Amino acid sequence: MKKYLKPIPRRKFLKTGITGGAIIATLPVWKLFSFSAPPSDFHVNPAVNLSKETLEKLIKIALQHGGEFAEVYVEYSVGNQIFLEENKIYGAGRGVDMGVGIRVLHGEKTGYAYSDDLSFEKLKQTAEVASHIAAEKEVKEPVGLKSSKIPSYYLVKVSPDSIVPQDKAKLLWKANSIGREYDKKINQVNVSFSDTNKKIIIANSDGIWVEDVQTLSRFLVSINVIKGDKRSRGYAYKDGTLGYEHYDLKVAEEIAKDACRMAIAMLPAESAPAGEYPIVMAKGHCGTFFHEAIGHSLESDGIRKKTSCFWDKKGKEIASKISSLADDGTVLGARGSINVDDEGTPSQNTILIDKGKCVDFLNDRLNAKLMKAKLTGNGRRESYQHYPLPRMTNTYLLAGEDDPEDILKSVKKGIYVARIGGGNVNWVTGRFVFSVPEGYLIEDGKITKPLKGIQLMGSGPEVLKNIVMVGPDLEILGGGTCGKDGQGKPVSDGNPTLKVSKITIGGAKV
Amino acid sequence: MNNKLLAENIVKKVLKLGADEAEVYLENNREFELTVRNGDVETIKQATSKGLGLMVFKEKKLGFSYTSDFSDESIEEFAKRTVQLSLVADPKPWNGLPDFKKGKIKDFDLYDSSIAEIPNEKKIKIAKEVEKIALAYDKRITKSEGGYFRDSERETILVNSKGISYSSKRTGIYFGADVVAGEGSEMQSGGWSSSKRHFKDLDTIENVAKEAGKRAVEKLGAKPVPTQKAPVVFDRYAARAFWAGILFAMNGDSVYKKTTFLTEHLDKHIASELITIIDDPTIPRHVASLPFDGEGNITRKNVLIDKGILKMFIYDTITARKAGVKVNTIASRYGYRSPASARFLNVVVQNGNVDREKIVSGIKNGFYVKGLRGIGTDIPTGNYSCGSSGFWIKDGEIAFPVDGVTLGGNVLDMLKNIEVLANDIDLRGSLNSPSFKITEMAVGGKK
Repeated sequence: MKKYLKPIPRRKFLKTGITGGAIIATLPVWKLFSFSAPPSDFHVNPAVNLSKETLEKLIKIALQHGGEFAEVYVEYSVGNQIFLEENKIYGAGRGVDMGVGIRVLHGEKTGYAYSDDLSFEKLKQTAEVASHIAAEKEVKEPVGLKSSKIPSYYLVKVSPDSIVPQDKAKLLWKANSIGREYDKKINQVNVSFSDTNKKIIIANSDGIWVEDVQTLSRFLVSINVIKGDKRSRGYAYKDGTLGYEHYDLKVAEEIAKDACRMAIAMLPAESAPAGEYPIVMAKGHCGTFFHEAIGHSLESDGIRKKTSCFWDKKGKEIASKISSLADDGTVLGARGSINVDDEGTPSQNTILIDKGKCVDFLNDRLNAKLMKAKLTGNGRRESYQHYPLPRMTNTYLLAGEDDPEDILKSVKKGIYVARIGGGNVNWVTGRFVFSVPEGYLIEDGKITKPLKGIQLMGSGPEVLKNIVMVGPDLEILGGGTCGKDGQGKPVSDGNPTLKVSKITIGGAKV
Repeated sequence: MNNKLLAENIVKKVLKLGADEAEVYLENNREFELTVRNGDVETIKQATSKGLGLMVFKEKKLGFSYTSDFSDESIEEFAKRTVQLSLVADPKPWNGLPDFKKGKIKDFDLYDSSIAEIPNEKKIKIAKEVEKIALAYDKRITKSEGGYFRDSERETILVNSKGISYSSKRTGIYFGADVVAGEGSEMQSGGWSSSKRHFKDLDTIENVAKEAGKRAVEKLGAKPVPTQKAPVVFDRYAARAFWAGILFAMNGDSVYKKTTFLTEHLDKHIASELITIIDDPTIPRHVASLPFDGEGNITRKNVLIDKGILKMFIYDTITARKAGVKVNTIASRYGYRSPASARFLNVVVQNGNVDREKIVSGIKNGFYVKGLRGIGTDIPTGNYSCGSSGFWIKDGEIAFPVDGVTLGGNVLDMLKNIEVLANDIDLRGSLNSPSFKITEMAVGGKK
């Protein structure tokens, strides 16, 4: 039940290497797409290209005990990572995951089985295991598969999997030398490039048959500074559904400088005051707040089970009139963007809160069916080893009309949140907590000094009502890997400059 | 092919391809997962899976790959590619496999063969029963997030070019329930579970269910308290998140890089004399026990903090060599997808000798911490700031539930100010602690 954004665990290679933390990616919110082909330089093991006949056979077997719906999910995924630390390339790694997950839905029931062995015999057994969730006499005939073409929201020309690690190493070395030169107080520079390249095929008993190639890449710089007994950390990164053409030495330099700037800025930080204060959130870097504190409570599993704090709030005012929230899987190149979700539903932009009113929830197939709601393209799963859950994609607060300068000026004493870190939420109470890796004191409408140890606490429903000013400057720069029920999934988020009239700050000073 | 033989063959293969040293870590898993809600089965998931991670060293350069594809041609290609990957890295004199002390791995009775025989009907019955009793615990419990039952079986194999070839099998079994209590528009969630290696060791359905129900109901009406300084009691289960932060700060690599506040504190008093912490992965049948660690060392007990004195940091072999320290390494695996790295295996904060009730009854005005949101510790600075929930203690008694407050302070101050340690440890997981009282902390709530 706890949802969280993970910090980046050191030296967790590959699978988790690309996950974690809050993010940087400078992407405009363009509404464009193309029917562009996936990168031709990502080589997929041909064993995963199951034929139409095989997929249809498996669906039929999965329905043999009268299940209402059956689905086959095929995945081939390659992860690459390369790290630099202590002025050395620490190592390069690569991993391959391949398998098939078969799901049968029957009423509120789900049967799920998976196999990493793609022989027909093993897949047949897998379908049989899943089929047993139903025990009906009448057996449903599946609809014949019809392949469909889908628009693309990825910005990928060159698959990062096609780039040899020696080339990626050049970016790492560039960032390292920038970091080492930036300031003498910098004692550690860690740099990594990681990418995952995934082909998925989804076929179901409603006749849907789609495939997608999903590319994620990330360039991350992390800096540690020591002076006397003071220590601080800075980080920055670029990531998204981006091909390797988006990375070069100039990008490496920019990202490294941003990480250095943050680390040096935070070195003199003083302990944050504890208690209730107004906060101003910087544009772009604080969207994780809306993902965690609000978004999770609008996912339809908690709505259907009536365990979310918003379960009975559709059509009602849940936020201040200037607050609107969207989940949008179609932001070009963003980390949470998808062409289709992991159930084959095309991605879309869903307005969840419209001028303060709760208007929609995020659905996967199961919950949409049980609540008689429409699909929103939010059925997502970590891998073939998991069944889909309703999950966010790119979540952001929509732009408002307040001047960002006026927003800052309106605060006599408060906290400026330049960047929000990891957090978690209890979706039943809506209570959340976030760390703030970069935050400052606001005094008389001006940012004065850096603060350490800031924790933001409160409940989503409360905070929504306390959003009192919203700027026009929406940017989608945040995100990471969201965890829910043990499944990690890439997401992004964003926000314009905004003010929350009061929030509880946890700090050491009383 | 037999998995151990496969692992041994891969090691031989990469040595032939030019690697100087190699290690294969292989996993073979079976999982079963069942959830029920409102008395009906919601999901049944079952599968078997496998995978292996290969680490090679060539001229002191490291390469790592993993795969779940064990077909002959794929393994051939995989082995070649991993050796090539190692050429990308820079050589480091400290790279390489551990120097092993020879010995025989012990049997800690971690495998229960009866688990595979449990019929699904019985599992469904347990999951339904635990949910039902949890829902009936109090009439204010109105909703269910479900009852669940899981069991798993894992075979792990570790083979390397220094002659280590170990395998071990272990089972896991787990059940519990999550329910929601409501009053007016307020909702509070509560859950509890039991997790063991052996079926027979599980807690009773009744105990687990009632604890889940209790945990939901007791939070109803929770509210923040005014910001103040007050004595704080960490409940034994909530305390785990606090210790997790300190254990992260004891990571040897962070010490080497001076990125942890504990860097200069080896062999110094960092905590109250009441505190002794041991990493002990050798407790029979315990869920966090293991015969060999992530690097293939035979597991052993290590004293981390002895009567308040910090005795050792947690190093894996490569980091220990780099830092030039001679120490028992403690390394764990997150699975076959990554190499072993320094991490505690089964931490036990040694029990005190005071009843928990007595600690509470001695407090006039204080905070009893039942829930912590995150670890709270900022590793570089040792600042502590953590969202928390629990109860307010008034005149020696639990007075009302509290939520939406933060605890603030400095970890070293907190550790030194542990003035009473309870005798209530429950060895539930890989991090275990009794309850304890800290003299005074900043509790941040309403102005």
